[in-house]
Amino acid sequence: MTKYIIRRLLGIIPTLLVIITISFFIVRVAPGGPFDGERALPEVVKRNIEAKYHMDDPLLIQYGRYMFDVLRGDLGPSFRYKDHDVNFYIFQSLPNSMILGVIAISLSIIFGITSGMLAAVKQNTWVDYLSMALAVVGISVPLFVIGPVLQYVFAMRLGWLPTSGWFTAGDGWKTIILPAVTLAFADFATIARLTRSSMLETLRSDYIRTAKAKGMKPSAIIFKHSMKGAMLPIVSYLGPAFAGIITGSVVVEQVFRIPGLGKFFVQSSFNRDYTLIVGVVIVYSVILVIMNFIVDIVYSLLDPRITYK
Amino acid sequence: MNLFNKKKTKLEATNEFNQVVVGNSLTKDAWRRLKKNKMAVISVVIVSIYILLAILAPILPIYPYDEIILDHQHLKPSLSKTSGELLTEKKMADLYTQAWRQGRLKVTPEEDDMLWAWIDSSNANKVWDYMFIVGSEQIADGTYTFTSAEKRTIDNLEKKLKTDLQITVKKVWHTNQETGKKDNVAKLPVEQVVEIYAEMVGTSVEIVSEQYEREIEQQLVKVIMAQNPDLTPEEYLLLYDKELESMSEKEHDKLVKENVLAKISSRAKEIASKDLKVAATDESAVFPLDKEIIIQGSLSADVEATKMHDRRYYLGTDYQGRDMLSRIIYGGQVSIAIGFIGTITSVFIGIILGALAGYLGGKVDYFIMRIVDIMYGLPYMLLVIIAMAIFGRNILNLFFALAIISWLTVSRMVRGQIMSLKNQEFIEAARSMGAPTWRIIFRHLVPNSLSVIIVFSTLRIPSFIMTESFLSFLGLGVQAPYASWGSLVGDAVGGMTLYPWKLFFPAAAMTIFLFAMNFLGDGLRDAFDPQSKNQL
Amino acid sequence: MTNATSPDTYKRLLEVKGLQTYFKTDAGIVKAVDGISFTLNKGETLGIVGESGSGKSVTNLSIMRLIPSPPGKIVGGEVLFEGKDILKLSEGELRHLRGNDISMIFQDPMTSLNPFLRISTQMIETIRLHQSMSRREALAKSIEMLKLVGIPAAEERIHSYPHQFSGGMRQRVMIGMALSCEAKILIADEPTTALDVTIQAQILELIQELSKKLDTAVILITHDLGVVAGMCDTVCVMYAGKIVEKAKTDDLYANPSHPYTYGLIQSVPRLDKAHDGKLFSIEGQPPNVIDLPPCCPFHPRCHKAMDICRTQYPPTKDLGNGHEVSCWLFIDEKEHSHE
Repeated sequence: MTKYIIRRLLGIIPTLLVIITISFFIVRVAPGGPFDGERALPEVVKRNIEAKYHMDDPLLIQYGRYMFDVLRGDLGPSFRYKDHDVNFYIFQSLPNSMILGVIAISLSIIFGITSGMLAAVKQNTWVDYLSMALAVVGISVPLFVIGPVLQYVFAMRLGWLPTSGWFTAGDGWKTIILPAVTLAFADFATIARLTRSSMLETLRSDYIRTAKAKGMKPSAIIFKHSMKGAMLPIVSYLGPAFAGIITGSVVVEQVFRIPGLGKFFVQSSFNRDYTLIVGVVIVYSVILVIMNFIVDIVYSLLDPRITYK
Repeated sequence: MNLFNKKKTKLEATNEFNQVVVGNSLTKDAWRRLKKNKMAVISVVIVSIYILLAILAPILPIYPYDEIILDHQHLKPSLSKTSGELLTEKKMADLYTQAWRQGRLKVTPEEDDMLWAWIDSSNANKVWDYMFIVGSEQIADGTYTFTSAEKRTIDNLEKKLKTDLQITVKKVWHTNQETGKKDNVAKLPVEQVVEIYAEMVGTSVEIVSEQYEREIEQQLVKVIMAQNPDLTPEEYLLLYDKELESMSEKEHDKLVKENVLAKISSRAKEIASKDLKVAATDESAVFPLDKEIIIQGSLSADVEATKMHDRRYYLGTDYQGRDMLSRIIYGGQVSIAIGFIGTITSVFIGIILGALAGYLGGKVDYFIMRIVDIMYGLPYMLLVIIAMAIFGRNILNLFFALAIISWLTVSRMVRGQIMSLKNQEFIEAARSMGAPTWRIIFRHLVPNSLSVIIVFSTLRIPSFIMTESFLSFLGLGVQAPYASWGSLVGDAVGGMTLYPWKLFFPAAAMTIFLFAMNFLGDGLRDAFDPQSKNQL
Repeated sequence: MTNATSPDTYKRLLEVKGLQTYFKTDAGIVKAVDGISFTLNKGETLGIVGESGSGKSVTNLSIMRLIPSPPGKIVGGEVLFEGKDILKLSEGELRHLRGNDISMIFQDPMTSLNPFLRISTQMIETIRLHQSMSRREALAKSIEMLKLVGIPAAEERIHSYPHQFSGGMRQRVMIGMALSCEAKILIADEPTTALDVTIQAQILELIQELSKKLDTAVILITHDLGVVAGMCDTVCVMYAGKIVEKAKTDDLYANPSHPYTYGLIQSVPRLDKAHDGKLFSIEGQPPNVIDLPPCCPFHPRCHKAMDICRTQYPPTKDLGNGHEVSCWLFIDEKEHSHE
């Protein structure tokens, strides 16, 4: 087991290196820097800027320096904001995004699995139809439509919840409800559908027939005999789910005006603040890679058939 | 499935009990199952309607999607009322509300409370709607009368509504004095156009050329400034010179011609509007009308005039007075096109790479699959955003960025299919007959995994559209004046309370389409693979 | 219904009367089991033989009410266990019956054990479901059962997961689990089909031995007539959802009456009889049981088919000594012409 974990950890390294390398070259190879558009700058202007950001060194030296900095945890200076470096902005906004993301993924897992299980167990009843209808909505309606619609209904029309903001005075934790629900929606839908189909598949399997033939109660069959097997596809979906949450948070933070990493990301991509964009992508990738790693470990713990060799 | 048996000989097979046995091919079977699925059939109809609308958009009787009429900002959707009537209502509601707030228009205390509560919860729409009804009643009852200032405002508006014309100059003609030949000015060479213009304004060609050179410079600098903010004026000049240098003679001529032609057209418009305003006021002309007017001497123009405020906006207008209906249709055109073409491209790339990896195996497989693995580990949407930010925000780049990242799943799937197929007997047979590799892959293996690919592609289209609109929503995708469903929703989010229709209609149009595509995809999957294990 | 408490009823453990199980499919209604009847006495071993698709397994799943529904449905008949109709039991009563009174062994031991639970968990829960025992007692009993079915080092291996066992070992575990509650009937649904030939005999012997020891009645479903000959007291031969012949084993082998049974017996390769180097086989395929016309479903493959075979299903004829057959060949000439 320990060996397996170590091997998986070692497997992460190339992915991270590739991410950093891609990030570096995207910035350097990109036509033009933050200070020019599609057209090339006059030589004088260009040289000044390049000297300032060490862009006049040979590419390999730049790459080495960048790699060294990133591995040290330094994401470099911002091209646009002169006061602080990239690290400062990222660590200022990351906690907000993390809170939102963790709540959203928890919501989607809890409600997704529950409604998927209900739908499977009560197949072809109104419970099934209702939860699958909800899931189809989650899959078909984009986040940026769900968000404003929830905002319109619950904040503007009904006035139950604040429209936007982040732990603003008076509203406090209430500000988190709408964004978290919005963000959770898409993954909820996928998890619910996945749970339903994998649960149905498990319920049709031979070993469930054995359990029935032994005279077990339906509840015991569902919770003791089916759950574990049925959860495996959901666990392996969690990797993409985290990616979805990260992508979704970019929009949700925009819609609900949350000072998170995603909002920063969009802003800096409008500003062409390359170091900041790349910094954010590296942070996101590291989170994603770590999450995938955890998911892998959890999967191997759940499925006794997996060997750690 | 037998390719050689294409002759339509109707052979009836019977079983041992003398019952007719009907042969069933996979596609026929799938089709039968699909037809049974009501949601899928409805979806097919809906998707077809959308596609038809998207294709026929240019010939549909709708207003141009990019025509800006500032007077018509944020008009409510209405099936029966013209924009003029809506404008009047808006003005009246405004006047009544003003009068109420100034205490000239009296309502019951309960109504007062209600109105103030609305104002507090920023429900301005409700206040206006309510005040319009109350005010109209009070005017009818005579309990409220307009002040003279208000009357004047209303009269002015009425006059404006009656006489405002939308004039488009379609063509400018120049009649050659000697030959009497009528030429389309837009098609004449630059020098001649400049001469004609100089003649029109009564100055020399030199003065004219000085003027347009200055204007072109301003125009270019403006473009450069928009692209590169924060530079010193010297740097801008440098850039401008460079720009001018790099510009070819032809490009320059085109700019000149556009510049001069625009001036001639605007003169034509001026003249036409002066002429027609009179006609509109005394109602001697029927609008819309087409007319040829004389600009000056040998210059004439074809103009089309419509009454601006006779327009109807069934789905309302946006913040620049553009027709939402036509923006939604054209937005759909962009979204659907990106969805379909993008899916086809990504599936194409995916099939080629997946088939190569699956069939050749070994190092090729290892290499391709490592790339796929690593790219899977990346937050790819963010990479698309970066790509859009770096390479410029236009439809083509968006499309490439999306296609490049979305072949991953297809290639994995095709690889799996091919690996499971490649050791089957019919492939062995083909190989033993000396069929070349490409032929085995693309004539034998790929067609056999086609049903899986079709199902996957159908489910891929909605997610492609979602991704596109996601970017457009953020402002990183399709740029104005073009629209896509995503950018329309993105534009609407800000003014949601005041102008809910701007959010509602594009969101609904998009949602219905995505629903239909998803149902169709699900239906196809169930039809092709009833025992499907990956029912996601 | 039949609650008559004659001494005969006590002897009869299970009585199936006119059982019909249909499946609804896209292509039409599949009459997988169409009106079959048989009885199982205490301590008896009953064999049900037939080709795949003849409805053997469905019969036994119907007895346990384990038919996946939809698409399957038991549309008629009675299944009397000690005089009570299983088909009319409540869910609770049914659960009490399953595993406790009637237990089952399935065809594929590779998929019939839950891969996510340890053997110990699965065995203990079975025992504790029907007997009031502490966890420890149940574990002891489970180990005892595993030893009984011949698992070496049962004390340690009981804590393994199913995938750590071989197919034969898993089937032994299944048997141990099925017999751990001292069920009165053991239904073995092709218990050896998925196993190596060398293991097959061991497993069958084990079933036979244990059923004698624990005085359990066995319903053995198989497509292998050789297996039946060695183990069963009575045999039912099924074809296309119907029992075509039912007899004591010896009687059946000595006197196969239905042409199908005859064909089946002939097609068993035998070393003790000289043959001309060619194995006998019944021509053709078993029919698809969707929308069968009213006829003897075997007639297209039957050498002795008559005109009437094509238009009517034959009634069941008792040839004496419990030997029943459904074939027009045995219907009286008079009756025949009368029809």
